[in-house]
Amino acid sequence: MSEGRARVLVVDDEPAILRTLRTNLRGHGFDVETAGNVRDALAEYDRARPDVVLLDLGLPDDDGLVLIRNIRGRAPTPILVVSARDEDRDKVSALDLGADDYLTKPFSVDELLARIRVALRHVARPETGTDAVFEAGDLRVDLGRRDVRVGARGVRLTPTEYDLLKALITHPGRVLTFSMLLRQVWGPGYSSEGHYLHVYIARLRKKLEDDPQAPRWILSEPGVGYRFRAEGP
Amino acid sequence: MGAVALVTLFIGSVLGGAHFANASMLYLVAVLISAIAFGRGPAIVASVAAFVAFDWSFVEPLHQFTVADPEQYVSLLLFLLVAAVTSQLAADQRSRTAQALDREREAIILADIAGLTAAPDLGASLVAAAARIQQELDVAAVGILLRGQLPVIAPFSSDVDRLFRGASSAPANALSPGTAASATAAGRPGRWVRVVSPLARDERARTRLHSVAIDAGGAPAGSLLVLRRAGTAPFRAAEDRLLAATAAQIGLAVDRARLRDEATESEVLRRSDELKTALLGAVSHELRSPLASIMASAGSLRQKDVTWSDAEREEFHEAIEQEVKRLDRLVGELLDLSRIDAGHLVLQRQYHSIDALVDDVLGRLRNATSAHEIRVDVPDDLPPVSVDYLRMDQVLSNLIENAVRYAPAGTLIEVAARVDADGLRIEITDEGPGIAAEDRETVFEPFRRLRRGDRAIVKGAGLGLAIARRLVEAHGGRIWVEVGPGRGARFAITLPLDAEAVPR
Repeated sequence: MSEGRARVLVVDDEPAILRTLRTNLRGHGFDVETAGNVRDALAEYDRARPDVVLLDLGLPDDDGLVLIRNIRGRAPTPILVVSARDEDRDKVSALDLGADDYLTKPFSVDELLARIRVALRHVARPETGTDAVFEAGDLRVDLGRRDVRVGARGVRLTPTEYDLLKALITHPGRVLTFSMLLRQVWGPGYSSEGHYLHVYIARLRKKLEDDPQAPRWILSEPGVGYRFRAEGP
Repeated sequence: MGAVALVTLFIGSVLGGAHFANASMLYLVAVLISAIAFGRGPAIVASVAAFVAFDWSFVEPLHQFTVADPEQYVSLLLFLLVAAVTSQLAADQRSRTAQALDREREAIILADIAGLTAAPDLGASLVAAAARIQQELDVAAVGILLRGQLPVIAPFSSDVDRLFRGASSAPANALSPGTAASATAAGRPGRWVRVVSPLARDERARTRLHSVAIDAGGAPAGSLLVLRRAGTAPFRAAEDRLLAATAAQIGLAVDRARLRDEATESEVLRRSDELKTALLGAVSHELRSPLASIMASAGSLRQKDVTWSDAEREEFHEAIEQEVKRLDRLVGELLDLSRIDAGHLVLQRQYHSIDALVDDVLGRLRNATSAHEIRVDVPDDLPPVSVDYLRMDQVLSNLIENAVRYAPAGTLIEVAARVDADGLRIEITDEGPGIAAEDRETVFEPFRRLRRGDRAIVKGAGLGLAIARRLVEAHGGRIWVEVGPGRGARFAITLPLDAEAVPR
């Protein structure tokens, strides 16, 4: 984020949505660049170096997924997919390629703005270092000492539970797909063993959440993965 | 018998008489030769003849059938025994060889038939199999009559056709009363039945007709019919076996063909499913995009944390209005399409003059076409044509709007009409990028949008041409696209002028 104003690159082939988002985001204090296809978007990305990219997948010259791969090859700029495609496999493939979040059209502008803010916070505070202490509400994780507390209560986690929690809190707000989590916690051979993940997520919720049925922190993205919510709902 | 006589002569004249033992050996050779050459029966005859000739010529008293020395009785009887056994062994060997040759031939023919019936085209493989059997068994005709297939008859003649059809409509009803008992076996596979058809005028043909049932997938599927040549012997076991095995092979081929058809059918279903999924995807994209703009603009207007300028508010309002119009048009087109596809389109046909219709359409589209040069070549003396005026207006508007959308500003769009052999022909020609040969059919499918020369997909749901084609076809006409003289696209419509050709 340079000179105080965050720069957003909006990539969509619908002129109407481009106009509306440009006006709205400018009104909310962002610098806005727009592009209508993958080729222009890459050129604009290289020129403007945006802090966050809003990306529609159905672009006229190529698939938006191509753009995700290209941007990931350059920098970890947060990418928010905003698409009419609402199938789980579309979300999973975008997130697996490195998109940070996924919003289905039509969307509420308030939600879009909230997700842009979350994405930008991660840019301001990149992946938490191993010595850091992570705090979200009354959850406190001391990554150096592997110590987890909810309020004053110490929580005992097995090594796998701890690794899973660590994977989630080091990407707060971001949707992590099932296969991403499995690979990160269990290793590359386990990317399709979804049931392991569900069991451990249930255990983590039981140990951390006040009401595991209505979790505060570990949210499900049905059919796609999980997301750690660092701030209040 | 001849061999025995020959041996007797040979011994008498050439050798000038011989020893008793040598003579018996020579007679044994004669018996052996007849066994090998002629089989069991002649061998026995030869054995007895040799015995008698030997007794007559070499056993004392000579030239009498009596035996002087009782010891020679034993020799004579031993000779007869050896002759009989040897001849039977030789005859057995002969028939085994013949059987082996038969089996080999059967195996070769069956392998051929299996190969022929394995071909993907069932009809062609049946024709080949029938011809092969006909040639191999040297019979008058072979027929393969299967349910749901054209009868295959080799070689074809209408007499044989009638005979075979009569026989295959057996067992019970086509048979004369006296043959009812054998008819009951007609349904069983591999059983030989002599089917007698009252339809066969040739009385002798009835006795030469053989039928083998063909089963496929455990159910009767038809029959294999063979008509022997007049005057030939009834089939032997080898031929029976061959025909039964051929019928089984044909049954397998029928089964395979059915499975193949089923596989093809499921492939067609899968593709149509894929198409539906693609359509659903396209519809949801086309509906959600304007909804997204509407929701984002409305949401923006509602936000309290920003004070929007008048210009900004106006922009949001305008976006909402435009996108609502776009949605409305899309919904209308989707309804049109589903109404037509469901057969609910009712045309309000009346005779109209086409030049008035073209004038109306161009007048209404004056704003949209202002950036292009429009040329109209529609004579005012064209015969009136029976059309639903509003629907044909929709078709022409769609085509002209399309031309405007794809052809660069300043280029020529020509609307022409004339009478030709197919009726009234209307052409809309532009100087845009044209349509590639491979896209000239698919442009009429729903949700197809072509890329313009600059690779941008032109806006619109891609339903206009799909609707236009359906409307023109509902009028009994045709619509297609070809290359115009300026390498642009030329959409051509023909409408029937003859009232008879107009579907009601």
